[in-house]
Amino acid sequence: MKWIPRWMHELSSPPVFYRFAGVMRPWFMGFALLLTAIGLYGGLVLAPPDYQQGDAFRIIYIHVPSAEMSLFVYGVMAIAGFIAVVWRIKLAESVAMQSAPIGAAFTFITLVTGSLWGEPTWGTWWTWDARLTSELVLLFLYLGVIGLFHAFEDRRQGARAASFLVLVGVVNLPIVHYSVQWWHTLHQGTTVRLFGPSSIEGDMLWPLLVMMLATKFYWAASLCGRVRTDLLSIDSGKHWVRDLADREGR
Amino acid sequence: MLAFLDMGGYAAYVWPAYAVFFIVLLADYLAPVFRRRHVLRELHARMQRQKARQARRDGMPTHTDTDAHAIREHTTS
Amino acid sequence: MRPGSLRAACAAILRRDLLLAWRRRGDIALPVLYALIVTTLFPFALGPDTALLARVAGGVVLVTVLLAMLLAFDALFRQDLEDGSLEQLMLAPQPLALMLGMKILAHWLSTALPLIIVAPVLASMLHLPGEAIAVLVLALLLATPLLSLLGAVLVALTAGTRRSGMLLALMLLPLCVPVVIFAAGAVSAAQTGLPWIAPVAWLAAALALMLVLAPLACAAALRIAIDA
Repeated sequence: MKWIPRWMHELSSPPVFYRFAGVMRPWFMGFALLLTAIGLYGGLVLAPPDYQQGDAFRIIYIHVPSAEMSLFVYGVMAIAGFIAVVWRIKLAESVAMQSAPIGAAFTFITLVTGSLWGEPTWGTWWTWDARLTSELVLLFLYLGVIGLFHAFEDRRQGARAASFLVLVGVVNLPIVHYSVQWWHTLHQGTTVRLFGPSSIEGDMLWPLLVMMLATKFYWAASLCGRVRTDLLSIDSGKHWVRDLADREGR
Repeated sequence: MLAFLDMGGYAAYVWPAYAVFFIVLLADYLAPVFRRRHVLRELHARMQRQKARQARRDGMPTHTDTDAHAIREHTTS
Repeated sequence: MRPGSLRAACAAILRRDLLLAWRRRGDIALPVLYALIVTTLFPFALGPDTALLARVAGGVVLVTVLLAMLLAFDALFRQDLEDGSLEQLMLAPQPLALMLGMKILAHWLSTALPLIIVAPVLASMLHLPGEAIAVLVLALLLATPLLSLLGAVLVALTAGTRRSGMLLALMLLPLCVPVVIFAAGAVSAAQTGLPWIAPVAWLAAALALMLVLAPLACAAALRIAIDA
């Protein structure tokens, strides 16, 4: 695999990545906090209330970034999972498996904030719309991946099996989305028009973009922390971990 | 300030949503910190036990003694 | 058929699995009994109103059949895994995907087919009208092999683990949502006098695709879950 740059190859060695992630994590988190402060000041204070929804629309600044992250993290998990299944690289296995709890957290936040937003604006906590149902199915997928990973005694084998499930989910998720859409047109029961074609003004838009960037940085920080810790468990027999335990384990 | 906290009457929806966002992400951020400390402590303790066992074995090199230790170690761990 | 040839191997596996299933006939009856019990409980929970029961009948029978199949999935590879014959199968010169396809077929014949046979009885217990029952059976004939194939991939993934019952249900749920939607959609379309051919065609298309892909995926999953 000559096309992989040299630095990438070095970074995929656990001790190097451990040090790299330890250095980067506070920086990522710092940027995330800074951007969150800016974004929420813009979103909660500067942005004017929506002419239809009043101040309830301000949930958008956490709901939409979380929803975007729930899919983004799944995408990253699928790429890492593919590498893990095909090339069996230790770091890819770890990245795929440690992405799952982060993605599940974002999916959970999306569902909860979505129903907290839905109650005052549409008058219902939950409706079986394609987006909501897909999000719920996404949560089940994340939980299934986490469950399968922990069901194995051998961590690396569990990681590869769960990565395979991630890849199955990639195919499945669009099918679920479109089949629910079809189902929704079939049963013309409760027609709540959820997401109309809406345009969003500049004053309301820029805090949203800032928050989307902030959640990306948060994700990077969280993933660094999780993968770093996971590498310690995987490599617990190796010298570099034993030296570390000697220094920091008391 | 009170008007800000009231959120135009939607305080009961907006603030819980933000609370969920921050609490869940804080828990997610702190989980590996605690886990890392736990893993390192556990490994350190295991290495200490191994070292102690090694020292005892060097002190009294009788077979029965080391076997007894090994068995005890095995049953306690 | 030459012994050791591909066709002979397929036939041998099919015969072996069907014979094993026949030797333990009680196990075949269990999912059917389970479906019968669940369907009997619904009128008690919902009340004996014929119109209401007829409205939910298609969905109830579909979900009941799905759950009954879920109960039986665990046995798909369990015994072969314990006595080591699955590993022999993995080492055999014949393609593993095809051998697993035969095992899935045998499993479908011994668990899903009895359920499809009793499905009209269950549906008429809930007063589903006659023409809708025909569509229900057609939908089940396409949906149950689809579920068997999808489930087999997941069962293969959990083959290396101890506990798998609840985990299997959690993993299967996202996969079976579209199947349930289209199968139930066909039945409810037939009930309201709408054309029901479109969802049935979708199911058939999915089944054709899965017949090719699922055994391959199942073999890959098994190699991941039981290596070393």
